[in-house]
Amino acid sequence: MANSRYDLAVIGSGPGGYVAAIRASQLKMRVAVIERDQPGGVCLNWGCIPSKALLNSAETMESIRGAAKEHGIEVGEVRFDFKRVIARSREAADKLSKGVRFLLRKNKIDFIEAQGTLAGAHTVALTPVAGKPALPAEAIEAERILVATGSGEKLFPGMSVGDGVMTSKEALIYDRLPASIAIIGAGAIGLEFAYFYQSFGSKVTIIELEKQMLPGFDAELAEELRKSFVKRGVGVLLGHGYKSMTRKNGTWSVTLEAGGVAKSIDAEAVLVAVGRGPSSTDLGLEKVGIETERGGFIRIDESFRTSCSSIYAIGDVIRPPLLAHKASAEGIAAVEIMAGIRAPGFDLLSIPGCIYCEPEVATVGLSEADAKARGLEVKVGRMPFRANGKAVAVNQTEGFVKLVASKQYGEVIGCQIIGHHATDLISEVVLGKTLETTTAELGRSVHPHPTLSEAIMEAALAAEGEAINF
Amino acid sequence: MSNEITMPKLSDTMEEGKILRWLKHPGDTVHHGDALAEVETDKADMVMESFDDGVLEEIRLKEGESARVGAVIATLRRDGEEKSKETGAAQPQGTMTAAQDSGVSATAMDSAASDEPAPAHDSVAAQSTGRVTTLRPARRRRGGDTPVPDSEARPRNRTSRSEDDAADAGNVAATTNGIDAPSPEFHPALSAHPSAAPTAIAAPPRRPVEVAPSSGTEVAVAGEGGKFRASPLARRAAEEAGIDLSHVRGSGPEGRITKRDIDNFLREQQLFKFRRLIAPREGLPGTREELSKMRKTIAHRMAQSKREIPHFYVTVEVDMDETVKLKKSLEATELFEEDISYNDIIVKATALALARYTRMNASYDNDGIVIYPNINIGMAVAIEDGLIVPVIHHCEQLTLPEIARAAHRLVTKAARGGFTGEDLSGATFTISNMGMLGVEHFAAVIVPPQAAILAVSAVKEKPVARNGQVVVGKTMMITVACDHRIIDGVIGARFVNEIKRFLENPASLLV
Repeated sequence: MANSRYDLAVIGSGPGGYVAAIRASQLKMRVAVIERDQPGGVCLNWGCIPSKALLNSAETMESIRGAAKEHGIEVGEVRFDFKRVIARSREAADKLSKGVRFLLRKNKIDFIEAQGTLAGAHTVALTPVAGKPALPAEAIEAERILVATGSGEKLFPGMSVGDGVMTSKEALIYDRLPASIAIIGAGAIGLEFAYFYQSFGSKVTIIELEKQMLPGFDAELAEELRKSFVKRGVGVLLGHGYKSMTRKNGTWSVTLEAGGVAKSIDAEAVLVAVGRGPSSTDLGLEKVGIETERGGFIRIDESFRTSCSSIYAIGDVIRPPLLAHKASAEGIAAVEIMAGIRAPGFDLLSIPGCIYCEPEVATVGLSEADAKARGLEVKVGRMPFRANGKAVAVNQTEGFVKLVASKQYGEVIGCQIIGHHATDLISEVVLGKTLETTTAELGRSVHPHPTLSEAIMEAALAAEGEAINF
Repeated sequence: MSNEITMPKLSDTMEEGKILRWLKHPGDTVHHGDALAEVETDKADMVMESFDDGVLEEIRLKEGESARVGAVIATLRRDGEEKSKETGAAQPQGTMTAAQDSGVSATAMDSAASDEPAPAHDSVAAQSTGRVTTLRPARRRRGGDTPVPDSEARPRNRTSRSEDDAADAGNVAATTNGIDAPSPEFHPALSAHPSAAPTAIAAPPRRPVEVAPSSGTEVAVAGEGGKFRASPLARRAAEEAGIDLSHVRGSGPEGRITKRDIDNFLREQQLFKFRRLIAPREGLPGTREELSKMRKTIAHRMAQSKREIPHFYVTVEVDMDETVKLKKSLEATELFEEDISYNDIIVKATALALARYTRMNASYDNDGIVIYPNINIGMAVAIEDGLIVPVIHHCEQLTLPEIARAAHRLVTKAARGGFTGEDLSGATFTISNMGMLGVEHFAAVIVPPQAAILAVSAVKEKPVARNGQVVVGKTMMITVACDHRIIDGVIGARFVNEIKRFLENPASLLV
C-alpha cells in the first residue's frame, strides 16, 4: 500500500459492490473492495446462484417424476441423494465466488478481507475477520467511499434459527429433506423454496399475512400462481398471520391467526421468508452523519450520494427492490455519475423482477393497478400460454403474458409474465421499455414460430385489439 | 432593406448570449413566432423566435459564438422586399443566394468585405450541404412516415455530449427554481384571475414544420445518411405535437432523443414565450407590446367569463384546528410516502362536496346543463405572467394519500420536464389557493365552461368563540364563485358549508 489513498473504496463485494469496482477500475480509478465474507456477497453465496442450482434439481426431479408419464416414458423407482443436491448447489456458488476474486484481481482492484466501518468522510476502518489473511493497515483512505453492504435475512423478534428453523441462508445448506415444512412468507424466496421442497416430496404449507401471494404484484398473476401451487399439492394459507411457535416431540407447532381465529399447523421444519432488511447497522453511519430512512435504508440523492458528500451507497442497502441486477445497475450508474460521464437519476421502473419457481414469474414496470393508481390511462393486452403453439407442444400451458401500455401512445409501461421460461422472456420487454418502444413495434416485430416469445407479440397486438391467435 | 436581428434579452439578468444552434438557415422562409436559434443565456438554453415574417438573409454569429444583448446576429429580408434569385430546391447555397442578391443589404455587403466575413458563411454552408434538405421549407405530412433528415449530418460535437447534458440539467434546474415551478407544497401563488383555458395554455405549439425533405430522391438520401436517433415513443409524441425532431436535443446514449427530450422541448418553447414578456424594455412606460399567446388566452377567457357568466359569491369561515391536527398527526405517523399538504386536504374535501352537489361539477350549455361524470380538480398555479392549471383527474376515486401522490407527481413533472397536455386539461372544477400569499379573503373568476371556482385564503390565528369562551383558533376563509345560470344561492351555500363540515371533521377525509 505504497500510495495509501484510493480513488474509491467499496464496502461489500456483492453484485452491487464488485460490479461498481470493476466499472470504476475501467474508468481509471484506483479501487479497493472490502469484504468480510466471501467475494460475491449474498447473491453468489447465499442467494440467487445456489438457489437456482437447487431449483434446477427440483425441475429435473419434477420432469422425471411427473411429466415422464405424459410422454409415455416409464421410469423405475426414483431415488435421490439430497446431500448431493445441496452439495452441487454449493459447488456452483464456490465456483462463481472464485470467479469474482479473479475478476477483481484482473482489474487490479485491491481485495481486502476485513470488516469495514466508516470512520470518517474519507476513511474506512478495517477490523480483522477470523480465518482471513493479516490486514495491511488498520484503515484505508479514499477520495470516495461506496457503501454496498446489501441486506440480510429478517426473523420475527425473539425467534432464532436452529432445530429446523431456518432462513433462506440455513435452508441452502440444510442437507436433510424435511418430511414437512411450513414456509412463512409468500414472496419470491418463500415461493422458490416451496417449489423446491414440494418437488422433492416434502409436505409444504405456505403462510402469508396478506390476502394474495406475492403481495404488491399484479393480483391476476398472483391468483394464477396460487392455483398452480395448490394444484401441485402445496398448502396455501393466505391472510394468516404468524403468532408463535412451540417445539414438541421433534416437530414444530406453528400458531397462526386469521380474522381473529387461531389455528396451528405442525411441521418438521420452518422456513422464515418474511423479507430482507438493509445491512446498515454496525457500519458507523452515525459517525459520519449519514441519514437513514424508514426501515434502515440509507438515504441517497439522485447521484447515489448519502448525506455525507464523499460517501455513496447503492443496492439493497438504499431501497427496494432488493435484487442483484438492480444493485449492479446502480453500482455502474453511481460510478459513472462520479466520473461525470452520466447524468444523475436512475429508472427503477425498468428493473425486471423474477421468481424462479415453476411456473416462473417475471415482471417489469407497473402493473395495471399501479398504473391506474398513478392516474395513468392504460390499455392492457393479455395472451394466455394455452393459446401459444410452442407452449402446447411442450406441455407448458400454465400462465399468461399481460402487457400494460399507455392509452395515448401505446408506450410500454409494464409487463407481467407467469409461465414456463418467463424469466427469459421478460428481457425483450425490458429492452423495449428501455428504448421507449410502443405496442406498435412490439407487435410488428416478427417473432420466430413456434416460440413462447410469440406470446409477447400477441399481447402487444391484443393491447391494440388486434391479437391474431387469441 | 433588411431587418437586423439582434441578440434578445431573454432573461432580466442576461448580458450576452451564445448561439448553440441555428434552427433556420439563410434562404429559409421565416414566420413570426418561428424558432430561429437556440441561445444559451445565463439562465437556460432557450429558443429565440422571430418577431417578423421574411426570409433569413445572413447569419452573423456562428454557432458556439457569443454576442452582447443588442448586437446584430443575423439579417432578415421582409416579405414584399426584393426577392432573391433563389431557384428553390435546386439552389444549394442559401448564403450565396443572399450574397449574390442584387438587393442585398449594405450590412451584408459590409460584412462580406470585412476581415471576418467567412465564419458565418462557412458554418452555414456546411450545414446546408450536410442537411441534404431543400432550403425551401416544406410542411411535413402529418401522420405519414416521412423520414426526417439525418441527425448525424448536423454538425454537433458528440464528444461533449455528456457535458451538454450536465449543463442542460443544470439549466433546467435553474429555471425551475427560479420562476416556473409550482412551490413544493403545491400551494399556488397566483393572481386574482384564477385561470385561463387550461387546454389552450397547455397546447403544444403546432407551428408549421420545416426542413422535411419533400422530394422522393432527397428522402432516399436522408435515409442512407443514417436514421434519426429517437425512440419510437419520442417520434409519436413529436409527431402529435408537430415537432421537427431535428430541433430537439437528445439526452440518451449518442444523442438519442427520448420522450423526456420532447417534453423538455415543448416546455422550453413555452417558457421562451413567457419570458419574452418579462424583458424590461417591454415593461417600459409609454410603450405598447403584443400580449403573449398565454396572456391573450387569459384575457379572452376571463373577459368572456365575466361577460357571460353571472357570478355570485358565497363565503364561509372554516375552523381549521382539526385539520391542522390531522396534518400533524399524519406527519408524525409517517404512514404515507408523500407528505400530505393542506392543499391536498382541501382538494379531497372539495371532491367529496362535489360528489354530493353534482351541479357544482357541471357546465351551462345552451340552455342545458351538463353534469360531468368525473371530478377533475384543477389547481391554479402562477407562472411568469400567467397561469397554468395542472389537473388531478378522477378525484372521486382517489383517497387522500392518492391525491397527495397525484399532486406530488405533477410538481415533480413540472420540475423535471414539464407537463403533458393531459396534465393541464379536462378540469371540471378549479381551486385557486392564495393561502401561501397570506390573503385574508378573495374571490376568483370562474373558468369557462366550468360552473364554479373555489377561492381559498390563508389559515390565520384568530380569536374564536368556542363553548362560550373566546380562545385562539386557526381559521380560513373559503369563497365559492358560482354560475347563477345553473346554480342558485342555496346550492352554493350548502356546497361551501359541506366543504367546511369536512374540514372541521377531517377524519371523514381518511375514510
